[in-house]
Amino acid sequence: MTKLPSKPLIKGHGRKWIVLALLVLFFGCRYILGPMPPSPPGSEEGFLGAALHPTLTDQSQSLPDDAMPFAARILKEMGTTLRYAFIAMSMAVPAGLLLGFLASSKWWPAMIGDVSAGNKAARYLLRPIQISVRLLTTLMRSIHELIWAILFLAALGHEPITACVALALPFTGTLAKVFSEIIDEQSVLARDHLIASGAGPLQAFLTSLIPQSFPDIATYTVYRFECALRSSAVLGFIGIETIGLSITRSFENHFYNELWTELYLLLAVILLVDALGAMLRKRLNRIPKRIVMPESNGSTGENIKQLKRTAPRNMMARVLMWSSVVLVIISWFPSIINVSTEPLVKASSSNTMQLSKSDRLSHFLTKMTPAPVRESGAWDDAIPWANELWRENGKTAVINTIAMATAAIIISAFAAWLLLPWASRALASAKPLGLFGGKDNPFRNIIWRSVGLLTRFLFVISRAIPEYIYAYLLIGLLGVSAWPLVLALALHNFGILGRLWGEVIENQPAEAPRQLLHTGSGRLQCYFSSFVPISFNRFLMYLFYRWETCVREATVLGMLGFASLGLHIQLSRNFSRAYDEMIFYVLLGSAVIFIGDLLSLYLRRGLAKA
Amino acid sequence: MSLQISQITHQFGSTKAVDSVSLDVKSGEQVALIGPSGCGKTTLLRIMGTQLLPSAGDISLIGRSPTTLSAREIKQLRTRIAMIPQHLGLVSNISVLRNVLNGGLGKINLLQTARQLIHPTRDEITRVYELLKRTGISEKIYDRTDSLSGGQQQRVAVARALYQQPSILLADEPVSSIDPARARDTIQMLTQLSKEEGITLIVSLHNLELAREFFPRLIGLRYGSIAFDCSPEALSNDDCQALFKMDSQDLVQHD
Repeated sequence: MTKLPSKPLIKGHGRKWIVLALLVLFFGCRYILGPMPPSPPGSEEGFLGAALHPTLTDQSQSLPDDAMPFAARILKEMGTTLRYAFIAMSMAVPAGLLLGFLASSKWWPAMIGDVSAGNKAARYLLRPIQISVRLLTTLMRSIHELIWAILFLAALGHEPITACVALALPFTGTLAKVFSEIIDEQSVLARDHLIASGAGPLQAFLTSLIPQSFPDIATYTVYRFECALRSSAVLGFIGIETIGLSITRSFENHFYNELWTELYLLLAVILLVDALGAMLRKRLNRIPKRIVMPESNGSTGENIKQLKRTAPRNMMARVLMWSSVVLVIISWFPSIINVSTEPLVKASSSNTMQLSKSDRLSHFLTKMTPAPVRESGAWDDAIPWANELWRENGKTAVINTIAMATAAIIISAFAAWLLLPWASRALASAKPLGLFGGKDNPFRNIIWRSVGLLTRFLFVISRAIPEYIYAYLLIGLLGVSAWPLVLALALHNFGILGRLWGEVIENQPAEAPRQLLHTGSGRLQCYFSSFVPISFNRFLMYLFYRWETCVREATVLGMLGFASLGLHIQLSRNFSRAYDEMIFYVLLGSAVIFIGDLLSLYLRRGLAKA
Repeated sequence: MSLQISQITHQFGSTKAVDSVSLDVKSGEQVALIGPSGCGKTTLLRIMGTQLLPSAGDISLIGRSPTTLSAREIKQLRTRIAMIPQHLGLVSNISVLRNVLNGGLGKINLLQTARQLIHPTRDEITRVYELLKRTGISEKIYDRTDSLSGGQQQRVAVARALYQQPSILLADEPVSSIDPARARDTIQMLTQLSKEEGITLIVSLHNLELAREFFPRLIGLRYGSIAFDCSPEALSNDDCQALFKMDSQDLVQHD
């Protein structure tokens, strides 16, 4: 963990102004997005009540006799969700490692003091490679996986493997970025020492920085797997047979009891992965100590063998790694355990009615060329065409998309900000910060402990369900407007901010808040006058980081029906098959995300320096 | 001659950390560099370890001048000079075995490094084990490095330096962060090992007592220049006091 600054970085009234500015900004977005319309009558009838009565049998009365029973069907779809997440990650992790390596400069021929190691000229060759890799990964990230999927399915046909590749692309971009950041954050003392003893820069990199960054890389990969599960579930909404497909069907048919079962199942699997990730992080950060010391009486070789056998090992990391390798192999080749699943690649001869792959692709490529260019052949004609699209829909769509993301992150920030003290392990306790808090009272202990647990659980649950599913359900219940989408984004990010900020205040040195408690201040006073000011910059950094991801998600959520970029992508695909217009909006979206990315990077850099 | 330095100067900005120092060290000699902090010991050691180039002056290490060498040649020279930095430069979350093996990277290529990462040979392991035995922590060979105490980690760094089979061993303040009894053990171990192996040993020290007890040659540094260069017998009390007096004057000046 990085050491936190010990004094507040924004001084004077800066923090108050920022909080005020966020509120003003929220009302600005509220003005842009318009009021929330009254919800359509009767839409939520029985929805919440069904939460207490999930079912394991089909609610539909009109199923054919040979249909797969409900429980088996959703289990199979959950399995498929896991399978596609594994397949996507098995492509994204190696690619992310490779690109992350290329995006880092820590293995380059280096200067140690004044003396170079290795051929310095190589740096001039490596710099352009590094810059192009960074651009490439940014581009991969700036298009949402769902949009990649829509593009690929349109271009290459409706095959699961295409969806997996679409999932893997943005994940590779994100993994590469985070991996290279993890590597760049490591201390270079050991690496420099090795170079000074004659090792080459690559050798030193392999033997020092790679093992040093392993714990962070491993835990981040588990977290990304959790994200892949969510995205894989959402693929169901565009027709891939994951759990999302059942969720849409049950919801459309008002089978709310089925729906809740499906949500609980998804929630359970994601919470399990979340818990595994937390356990792994704990294990990797704990230094293993030797428990058994063998007697040394044999030969040297025998002694070494004994020592190796009894050496303290990190079993959990090993078990997790090997079991994921096995699961990846099973995901690719399910036939080895005799499970029949949907083939990843469909044989092209099976359906003669369907276009062949190359025909489809060339058809797609022709149709994605702007219409006037297709006719005239001159790319100059594309400019008025693009101008027209921008004026007609593009501008409003971009503004709405950004307003949605901004409103959402502000809601979740305020909610998380106010709930944080009740979730903090330090404060939500009968003895805040471990200080003596008066006579022991078992009742008070239980109350405080449950308050902490419940608030943390609220954070966990709200981030476990993907934004897209929240948005889908809320649109159905509240009617079509921007607000269900904003609420969906806010719900998910509320959980994430709660966790990230919770970590910030847990890592903060406890002297100052403890001093306040000693002088008789209450928990909330202590939170607002010690934890918040000291950690404020970090809070803001995470806020901007999440805002950037909100913009990305908002682009896609629009597909559910509000006049934003996603809607136009959806409309041009579904109704007119106007792939040229669709590509225009996709590129517009990725440009917005790209700029959002840069803006957020700039703000975060500034905050880190301030 | 193991090491020849004539008139070297090193400047950081406008401050001269090392100011026209000349020094010859014979093969197998054991030298203690003493002086208050900030007197230029570390800079001088880093120049001797080819981690810094002097701003002016000539330096020759084992007959070679680092300023004239190509990248490849300097790499070869570096394998023969082992340094134990104050921060030890160990990778904390790997086994002691791997940290010691890292001392030999200069002598193997990238492919062999990859092989060694996956599967160190029995010979390599045995060599590491024997070295760890000599530094007294052989039973820790498979333990994770950060599970060892500070003094034990220092012994890992010593074993890693010896694994290099160096001609020159440089140690920067090896006893600054351990208690007096262990400090004595460490210095004794270093001088004894260098004697047995015939390695030139240059150690920077705060502790004058230890330097006098174990080193046949003492070099006092103040303000980046040599204050004295003599045997412990020849070292007068005035010389010693001068070294410490400078220290207190320095403090007054800074106020």
